[in-house]
Order: sequence, then C-alpha cells, then structure tokens
Amino acid sequence: MKAHGINAASITYDSREVLSNFGDAHKIEYPLLSDVGSKVIRAFGILNTNVPEDHKMMYGMPWPGEYLIAPDGTVRDKLFLRSYEHRPSASQVVLRHFDNASGNSAVIKAGVVSATVSLSTDRCFPGQELGLALDLRLDPGWHIYGKPLPANYQAVDLILESPLIVEQSLELPAPRPLLLKALGETLPVYGGGFKAHGKVGIKWSPPMPAPFLKALGEKIEPGLYQIAGTLRFQACSDDVCEPPQAIKFALPLTIEAGIPPAPKKSA
Amino acid sequence: MEAARKTEVLHGVVRKMMAGGADLQTNEWIEFVEAQNDGFRTGPEIGAKVPDFTLPDQSGRSRSLHDLMGPNGLLLVFSRSADW
Repeated sequence: MKAHGINAASITYDSREVLSNFGDAHKIEYPLLSDVGSKVIRAFGILNTNVPEDHKMMYGMPWPGEYLIAPDGTVRDKLFLRSYEHRPSASQVVLRHFDNASGNSAVIKAGVVSATVSLSTDRCFPGQELGLALDLRLDPGWHIYGKPLPANYQAVDLILESPLIVEQSLELPAPRPLLLKALGETLPVYGGGFKAHGKVGIKWSPPMPAPFLKALGEKIEPGLYQIAGTLRFQACSDDVCEPPQAIKFALPLTIEAGIPPAPKKSA
Repeated sequence: MEAARKTEVLHGVVRKMMAGGADLQTNEWIEFVEAQNDGFRTGPEIGAKVPDFTLPDQSGRSRSLHDLMGPNGLLLVFSRSADW
C-alpha cells in the first residue's frame, strides 16, 4: 500500500490505553484511532444497532468493514461482508484499484489464448477475503464466448476448487455481440483480451478449540496449500471453431497461524 | 431476527463465555453471529463524501482525516474492538 501512496488507519471504540497495548503487542505501525463513545462510528452510520445499550462489552461497536477513501474525501470503494467472521483484506484493494498482485500467479498458454490468474496475496488468515485477477489475451482474429450462450458453446469461466474456499466471484467485462455469418447467429464474444477482477472468500476456522465450535468445521491447519483452478473457454475465428478447453492450474497460498490476543495489562 | 431475541442472545452468549463457555451450544453461537450482523449497514456510498473527523491515535496524538490521508488515498478500517 505504501508503494501506491495509500495510508492505513483503523477505528474502534477502544480507549487509547487498550490501543497502545494492542499496537505494542502486534507491532502495529499505522494509527489505531480511539473513538470512545463511538461518535465517528455513528457519523459514518455504521453503529451496530443490534447491540442493546446496556451491553457493557459490545455496545458502541460498528459493523466491521473498510473504506478506500480518495484524497478528495469521497469513498472510492468499500468492503463489508455479511458475517463478521469473514474480513476483507488490504491486498484485494491494492489488486483491484492499483493492479498490483503480491500473490502467486499461474500463467496459461493454450493455443490462441494466453492468460494470467493471480491472487492478491500469497499468505492470509482463515476467514479473509482475497482478490482474484484474470488477465486474458487472444491472438488477433480470434474470439472467445461470454454469457448468455446456447448450451452447445462454452463461455469463458474461471473456477477455483479448494476446500479452503467458501465463496468466489469474478466480474467479467460486458462481451460484445458478434454476428456469426456462417451460422446466422449473434453471440456474445470477447476479442483481443480483457482484465477481470474477482473475490475469493477463505474459510473461517474456529479460533479456539471450544467444543461448541467443533460442529462449525475443522480447524484449518497453518501451512502451504495449493489452490486448484480451471479456466474454461472456447476459441473461434471467422472460419474455425476449436473444441471447448478446460485448462487446470494451481495457485500456492500460505495459511498463517492465528495470532494470540495481546496480553491484558493488569488493572 | 426480532430485536428482543438479539438482545437476549447477545447478553446470554457473552455471559456464558465469561463463565468459561463450557455449556455453550453450537446453535447459540450461530445465533450470536447472526444477531450481530443482521440487517448490517455499510455507511456512505461509493462516490459520497465521508464525514470529517479528528480522533486520538494509540500514542495520544490527534489525527484528522486530512492528515491521515496518503497521496493516493486512505484505507480506513472499522473493527469491533482491539480488546476482545
């Protein structure tokens, strides 16, 4: 983020003492802002109103999420997830808005199609959401298909297959309609190439070995994983249509061990 | 989820966790997660101005939105708490 001129800061309702303790324990260099009384959390309109006012521990907390704020003070992007157990990552913001993947890439070369698939980071914690990028190029004179498409054609599609992934999406640019004279059909196609961004939700892992959390899924062991994926497409020119292809690839991803909470200072 | 049920769940589960959490059930935890994020809101829309603010940081220094801003922007993260 520094290399792209982006600063970071966090806001919680905690006292300065709590934040100073947390910052020291985790060696945090960015500002941890203390919004005691949740004035700024309210001004943003994200005070968690599910929490009753008499809840000593939780009242005043926000719905967790993050904003990328432009230098003119407007929201450039915001990331809020349905469950607080899943959190967006800074790396996905950098990949989407600054086109910089610090994760691993798979380079695919299959006939007239060249593609690079990248993750926004090469390491993460369970429960994080990562960025995904697909940069696809076609040889001149060729196209691949988009959606919607009749059943006998293969639209371009990128799927990651891993038990670590709970959610994924890819936003493809709008294809252009192309009249295929020989068939008398107009179909959605991509020619030349495109860049597409997506999201990959990594499975949450119970943070403690409590019996009541066991039923929600096994703990994800820290370590190096290979995220398998398949890129599907069908390439055609004005004269020739190749059969649909399914190209397999793998993206290495390290799952980090959770960090134990900061030790409490005795009151 | 009904507001009264949310209140009951948010109090009840935290009370049980404080007592060690030995009798907590999986369905109570699922409700606890739901009760917190039900109907969540995400604040200013893309393109809208964010509210101006000035807050102290962990060293006690007063920081405004203006002086936190980087040349190309600021990633501002709202978390629940750094204490639990």
